[in-house]
Amino acid sequence: MSEIGLTHYLLLGAVLFVCGAVCMATKRNAIGILMGVELVLNGSTINFVAFAHFNETFEMEGQVFALFVIVLAAAEAAVALAIVLNFYNNHASVDVDTAEELKG
Amino acid sequence: MSEFFADPYQFYAAHPGWLFVTATLLPLLSFVLIFLASGAWALLRRYRDDHPAAERMYYLFGGDVGGRGAAYVATGAIGLAFLLSLAGFLVFTFVDGDQEAARDRHESAIKELREKLVAGKGDRKEVEQDLREQEGALAAQDARWAGRSDWLRIFPGITNDPRRGTVLQLGFRIDSLAALMFMMVTFIATLIHIFSIGYMGEELEETVEDHHVHGEHGPLRRRGRFGRFFMYLSLFCFSMLNLVMADNLFLVFVSWELVGICSYLLVGFYFERQSASNAANKAFIVNRVGDAGFIIGLLILWTYVGTFNFEDLFRQVRCPVRDTQGGLVLGGQFVRGDLEPKENGAQTLRVTAPDDAAGASALLFPRDPSGDFHGVGPHGLEAINWDQVGTVEVHASPEKGQFGVMPYWMLVVAGLGIFLGCVGKSAQFPLHVWLPDAMEGPTPVSALIHAATMVAAGVYLVARVYPLFTPEALLVIAYIGGITLFVAASVAVVMTDIKKVLAYSTVSQLGYLMLALGVGGWTAGLFHLMTHAFFKALLFLCSGAVIYGCHHEQDMLKMGGLFPKMKITALTMLAGVLAISGVPTFSGWYSKDAILAQAFGYVYVHPGHVLLFLLPLVTAGITTFYMFRMWFLTFAGRPRDAHVYEHAHEPPWLLTIPLIVLAVCSVCVAWGRQPLNPEESFLAEKIGESQPASVIADFGRVENDPLWKGGRLKDEAHSERYYAQDMGWLAGDLALGLTILGVVFASLLYYYRVLDPAESQQQFPAVHAFLTHKWYFDEMYSAIIVRPSLVVAHWFKWFDLHVIDGAIHSVAYTAVWVAKWDGRFDNGVVDGLVNVVGRSVSGVGGSLRRVQTGSLRGYVLFLVLAAVGVFLLLTWWVTLVLAG
Repeated sequence: MSEIGLTHYLLLGAVLFVCGAVCMATKRNAIGILMGVELVLNGSTINFVAFAHFNETFEMEGQVFALFVIVLAAAEAAVALAIVLNFYNNHASVDVDTAEELKG
Repeated sequence: MSEFFADPYQFYAAHPGWLFVTATLLPLLSFVLIFLASGAWALLRRYRDDHPAAERMYYLFGGDVGGRGAAYVATGAIGLAFLLSLAGFLVFTFVDGDQEAARDRHESAIKELREKLVAGKGDRKEVEQDLREQEGALAAQDARWAGRSDWLRIFPGITNDPRRGTVLQLGFRIDSLAALMFMMVTFIATLIHIFSIGYMGEELEETVEDHHVHGEHGPLRRRGRFGRFFMYLSLFCFSMLNLVMADNLFLVFVSWELVGICSYLLVGFYFERQSASNAANKAFIVNRVGDAGFIIGLLILWTYVGTFNFEDLFRQVRCPVRDTQGGLVLGGQFVRGDLEPKENGAQTLRVTAPDDAAGASALLFPRDPSGDFHGVGPHGLEAINWDQVGTVEVHASPEKGQFGVMPYWMLVVAGLGIFLGCVGKSAQFPLHVWLPDAMEGPTPVSALIHAATMVAAGVYLVARVYPLFTPEALLVIAYIGGITLFVAASVAVVMTDIKKVLAYSTVSQLGYLMLALGVGGWTAGLFHLMTHAFFKALLFLCSGAVIYGCHHEQDMLKMGGLFPKMKITALTMLAGVLAISGVPTFSGWYSKDAILAQAFGYVYVHPGHVLLFLLPLVTAGITTFYMFRMWFLTFAGRPRDAHVYEHAHEPPWLLTIPLIVLAVCSVCVAWGRQPLNPEESFLAEKIGESQPASVIADFGRVENDPLWKGGRLKDEAHSERYYAQDMGWLAGDLALGLTILGVVFASLLYYYRVLDPAESQQQFPAVHAFLTHKWYFDEMYSAIIVRPSLVVAHWFKWFDLHVIDGAIHSVAYTAVWVAKWDGRFDNGVVDGLVNVVGRSVSGVGGSLRRVQTGSLRGYVLFLVLAAVGVFLLLTWWVTLVLAG
């Protein structure tokens, strides 16, 4: 086994991303979907950090984007949770399949 | 105006002519009042049931029979007008009686003073002062009886010659003829107004049944038109008086047309009757023919002389009567000659001797209205002895534009044109056909308009513009009159409608008037005009009374024996019959004898025109015959129709009083200081005062003629007027003999029944048919004018319907066809294209909307698939790039 390199980090990020995507696609619970979103974001954050670490050209940018994604995730979670709470108040459920009133 | 309101009495004393103007305006005021009141009344009638206030006002205006007030207003106005005219006439006769003498005095004084001024004698300032005073006095005297003001200013740029006509004026001038006409018109009109109050009584009813018109449900029912009748009468009186006082031809023309429209309205008063509306149209249209001539005359005078004012016209066309130098050369004559240009731009005036009419083709007249011929030349024309020199050339050139030249034939045409207007209005041959038909109007109208006044307007106008008529025009006038009087009298002999007899009699008498004017009997013609007005109004009103008494029966064959039932009417009518027949001491005798005497004098000088004496002479007998025939058929003998006879009754006093008054007038209106002496007639004397000097110039002078002091005139002892005066008794005696013959024949046929009228009809069926068809005039006009115009009208109708309408229709059809195809293109292609775009957009949208499922997981799936897709695509592309 060789030393842990860029490929391993990228693989981890990809796994996390796929897990998050599958979670979003399969969960009916809104909270679950939010968790999936977090996974996807974190997968991408790992990619940014990995590239920042292994590629000098992207050293600064990678770090900044990672922080930016974390802030974004926090904001997203706050807004999304507020929507979910409101949805729950109106429908007494957090099942996203019932939220189809805006369909075309 | 302020002068008037400050002190009316003073105003009228200073301007007595305004008495006549006021008399003219009164009927106009009455017309306006009745017009406005009837308008208000009609408006209130509509709302009377809705608003109590309107109802109260409605009854204030007279309620359902509102017209009676109109009669009082109209009668009051014309009555007052008569009183004013009477006052004016009295002032004219007795206050200003010596007007002529005063004029002469002033004029001679002015002449002397001017000579003094020229000669430089006396104190210059003093002479000038005197001259101004004298001229002022002369002007003041003229201003008493005349006045004028500008009315319309024609754009001056139309003509470069400032002396050509530019201004139309309103003006009046009263002379003794106008004053007498005023009295006659207002007096007769007043009586006729009073008569009409009674005669038109049934028009006061809320609904009137007209038995001459039949609708689906029996006779026509309409509202009474009492007020309207008096409104028209007032307008008519105004127009007639305006015509009489007018001092210019244009104002005459305006009044002329107003009179015509009143005649139209009154003839068509019962316009629901087909015959009445036809008669009204006929009267109007026939008069238009005459008016066309009138307008031509007016335009010629306006173009050449440049004024419509009578005085100015005469002063220019005829040489002045009074000469500034004292000697009279051409007074009252037409001056004919030529104006020849000379090399240096000046002109020479070549004047032809007065009697040598064939010598020159043009009429010369001074352009300046106050100018005259006597200042021309080194010595003036008065120094020339015309007997030795035929044509005179005035060597000193007149100033440029000082003299106007008018082709002589133009003046003839102008005179004939004006006369054509008079032919229409006074119902002369060949335009006489309208007057008998005009009897469709109410009888008082026939009396007022179609006997006494309106038809006299034509004669009056001929008399007014007398100096404009050339000898040729006068001869035409005389012959037209002669033909008219005979034709009309012959038709009157066979008429059986009482009003038609009188209508033809009127036409015939008007012919006498024209004949008299044509042969130089100016005074005689107007004298007869006055007397005729009285007795013809009387006769018409009598016939109205008979018609009223017999319940609108007009056929004399159904009358007869009415004398015991209507004595007043019969006796007054007899007075009229005697007057028109010319029985001595009745007014008609004086005037008709005067006409015959003048005709005799004319024929004596011109034996070629013997018809001009024979026609009126024979007609005098015929007149007597048909008038007595009418009287006998109506009042004498046994009643022929029991029904009419039973219901006949004397009309009420409102109708008989005017008859009595008019009968008295018909007898004695022509009397003078010695009633039996025809020479002494006061009326004739007054009329004679207005006689234009041209009568003397054209037809010679008689002993008592004023004004004439010498000069070149026809020899006193060989003129028409001299023989008329000298040998007129012969004509009078002949006429009296024929009159007696007429009475004898009439009484043999219709009173004693010695001869049977029916038998004589059978003996001369052709003559009788010819006369009952009125010489086939109507048939002739129908064949020559009416039918051809109808045929032409039909052609034009066909052309209009088929050619013009066809063209328009085909254009329209083509447009519709093109539009239809254009519509198809628009609907199919243009709209189709737009619709396809719209529909496809809508379809795409519709199919895309299915994608929006609303399912969150679905969206995620899309996202993932899309990401995978993009990844694969990029990979493929990168591979491709790297590979190649």
